[in-house]
Amino acid sequence: MTDRTRSDLRSFMKQSWDEANDFDPADPMAGLNRSDLAGPQLGRRTVLRLLAASGALTATHLLPGAVPQAQAATGGTLRAGWSGVGELRTIDPAQINQVLLFQISSNVLSGLTHINPALQAEGDLALDWEVNGDGTEYTFNLREGVTFHNGDAFTADDVIYTYQRSKDPEKSIHSRVVANIKDIEKLGEHKVKIILGAPQASLLVKTLERSSGRAMTIVSRGAIESMGLSEYGLKAVGTGPFKVTDHQLGQSMTLERNEAYWDPNRPGVDKVIITPIIDPEPFAAAMEAGDIHISGGNPIPPELVDRFESNPDLVTSIIPGPGFQGIFMNPWRDPMKVTDFSKPVEELKKEKGFMVRLAIAKAIDRELYIRQAHFGRATPAYGTINPAMGYYYDDAIAATSEQRFDAEAAQAMLAEAGFPGGEGFPELRILCTASTRRDCLVIKNILKKNLGINIELDVKDFPVLLDEFRAMSFDLCRLGSGGDFDPDDGIVDWIQTESKFNGRDRNKDEMPFGWFSDPEVDRLVTEQSVTADPAARKALVQQANQISSDKVAQAFLYHPSDTMVWRKEVNFPDASRIPGLVDLDRVTLS
Amino acid sequence: MTLYILKRSLGAIVVMWAVATLVFFMLRLLPGDPLAAMMFDAGDPAAADVLRVKYGLDQPIYVQYWRWFTLMLQGDLGASIYGSRVPVSQILLEAAPRTLSLAFLSFIVAVIIAIPAGLVSALRRGRPVDHGVTFIAFVGLSMPDFWLGILLILLFAANLGWLPAIGYVPMSEGVWTWLSHLLMPAIAAGTAFSAIIARMVRSSMLEVLKTDFIRVAYAKGLKPNQVVMGHAFPNALIPVITVMGIAFGLLMASTVVVETVFAIKGLGRILIEGILNRDYPVVQGAILAVSFIFVFVNLLVDILYGVIDPRIRVQG
Repeated sequence: MTDRTRSDLRSFMKQSWDEANDFDPADPMAGLNRSDLAGPQLGRRTVLRLLAASGALTATHLLPGAVPQAQAATGGTLRAGWSGVGELRTIDPAQINQVLLFQISSNVLSGLTHINPALQAEGDLALDWEVNGDGTEYTFNLREGVTFHNGDAFTADDVIYTYQRSKDPEKSIHSRVVANIKDIEKLGEHKVKIILGAPQASLLVKTLERSSGRAMTIVSRGAIESMGLSEYGLKAVGTGPFKVTDHQLGQSMTLERNEAYWDPNRPGVDKVIITPIIDPEPFAAAMEAGDIHISGGNPIPPELVDRFESNPDLVTSIIPGPGFQGIFMNPWRDPMKVTDFSKPVEELKKEKGFMVRLAIAKAIDRELYIRQAHFGRATPAYGTINPAMGYYYDDAIAATSEQRFDAEAAQAMLAEAGFPGGEGFPELRILCTASTRRDCLVIKNILKKNLGINIELDVKDFPVLLDEFRAMSFDLCRLGSGGDFDPDDGIVDWIQTESKFNGRDRNKDEMPFGWFSDPEVDRLVTEQSVTADPAARKALVQQANQISSDKVAQAFLYHPSDTMVWRKEVNFPDASRIPGLVDLDRVTLS
Repeated sequence: MTLYILKRSLGAIVVMWAVATLVFFMLRLLPGDPLAAMMFDAGDPAAADVLRVKYGLDQPIYVQYWRWFTLMLQGDLGASIYGSRVPVSQILLEAAPRTLSLAFLSFIVAVIIAIPAGLVSALRRGRPVDHGVTFIAFVGLSMPDFWLGILLILLFAANLGWLPAIGYVPMSEGVWTWLSHLLMPAIAAGTAFSAIIARMVRSSMLEVLKTDFIRVAYAKGLKPNQVVMGHAFPNALIPVITVMGIAFGLLMASTVVVETVFAIKGLGRILIEGILNRDYPVVQGAILAVSFIFVFVNLLVDILYGVIDPRIRVQG
């Protein structure tokens, strides 16, 4: 070894030593973050840092090539607990009605596209695609050599079959999602052209997406015909990284590695056993005892999150979740009556009914509400567009919305509406379910404290609440949405006059619209849905969101957090941390 | 006896029909549209209308009833209308072994605790051991099964790691695996019933111990063990068997809380979730199953009376 080489080596080792020890000793993570620790391989820098933090770092470790790479083993059985659910009713995409179900189907079936952690579409069964000039024709090159779990080859015919099935309301509950697709042409065994009725900005992220989209999640014709619908619902056959090998409804579902998956590096585990666990305490105990490795399903009850975070055997990951929750106020009932939302906000502010609506929305201290009702685990909401949407989310809306918290202004507004200090204000009833009862109690207390008004809880079974909500038979209703990955999920589904939730079963002679209607918002929502340019679309989305917030389409409360918990032996890479989803194909076990 | 059993069986069928019919109409009187709820936030309203027609839910109630009744007589209980479309018979057949296993083990736990406790309490009447057993029985009765279940999970699963916290594994995967999953649920469900049975054993034994034939037995010079186990206990069993029969029936139908805590999908949970989702075919099927079990366990108890005490064997 020459002097020069010795000198370089010394310098290299010195630099490595300094880097390894460059962390705050009080930091339990030793300056490392989750991505540093994510598998399947830990980097040299990470391993040296861990050795230094544990006091085990020696000069030998600093020699180039001396550090063994801590490699996560592939294979093994991953046990997952699906929280807050009694059974995994179906994973047939045509019948899936809950986020917690498409969390599973996303591991079994594929779409033409799949969203990434930034909620952008990436090719799944589609290798690439081209769009024509006016955005009405998408030509997809499909992945070749892909087979379904039953051995059938995946071709363009399966895309067409899935479309034909999904557009039939007798076969699929998602026919509305493909209403804008006028036809799908087969251009070759692995090439299709999708022809739209009108340009659709959300096509790739919503309609063609493998998990939340559902309508175009590719199903196997052969399997459906041979298995029948109910069996297919329990053990759907797709082209995804895992295949279903067993499903005891309400007990457990077993997924096994699809050896023929198009990406030979995935999945990372041999088997996944998913158990639905409806009660929070047994769920927590099973997680702590190691009976389950990872969480999925409904949001983890916020009261458990601190407990999980303080457990050194567990990793808790909290990111913004895709959804919103709020209080709907019936504009056809006194004292919140507003029969025309098309007026400018300043003009609406002169109407007593609108004053009451805005006073209620402004009187809700969302920070306090989130602390008391959700243990601080949520983001205050002022519109339907959620922070998980990232690019489309308006960070400034908390400061700009007319609904921003201001107790004094709310009191003044209520007084101006004729109810000073809440005097003479009629008692309102708020519709809620057993699971939102605590939320409603917190709201009741906040409104009593800040406005002096009385709210009574009206706790109903969900189907009953829904009947009354759809018929506009309520004063206030505590409701919201989950699984909103594209702006369309928030504003087309929830804010437009023709939204499916906007008083669908109301008496249309007495109520020309449901709980909100503004032609300007309708125009913006329609325009954004056909605007392909992201920047232009973002402006339209945020404008519609702002108006519906300012005009109090509802009193928005919070955007839920997406909390996942896994045991330390699980390597859950950032690439799989997609809000609302639980993609297990890149997960490995140490 | 055979004629008696036939008559009782016929009566049991009538009871089951009456229960199922009552539930059929009551369920439809409840507000809440199952299809609208299923499709909330996800589905197409048009699809709900199509499915409503497909499932016959747009028909008058009496038409729906007649359709259900005639299909039921042919052994077709329909399929779940809330998402899965799985046949109700398949749902019930999968759940029945879980509930039967849990009820059976809970029953065993209850009997193992109750009979010695009741006997000791009766034979040591008024002494500290009697007061102790009475106190423990009241504690057992007062303790909610879900609370006991959670305590057991925290102790034996989360802290000691001896038993799995949740789930059910069929016996085909190994007797210990099956038993280890059911031990805590069985203790949680069986404890309250053990208290009830123990109280019944005690009072029944006290009644019998006061009778003349027991005095005669002692006068004949029989040993206390022979008197208690050979003469007093069998005669004290009649009311105990009645309570045990009811307890077993109740265990079959009322373990829903324990099933929920331990993530076991049994008949109770099927019934509750079916009601909450307004999944009519599932609720009707589960009600039929539960009433079948209840009615026939009671029939079995009646037959057992005759086996235990030939004097009261019912004449056909």
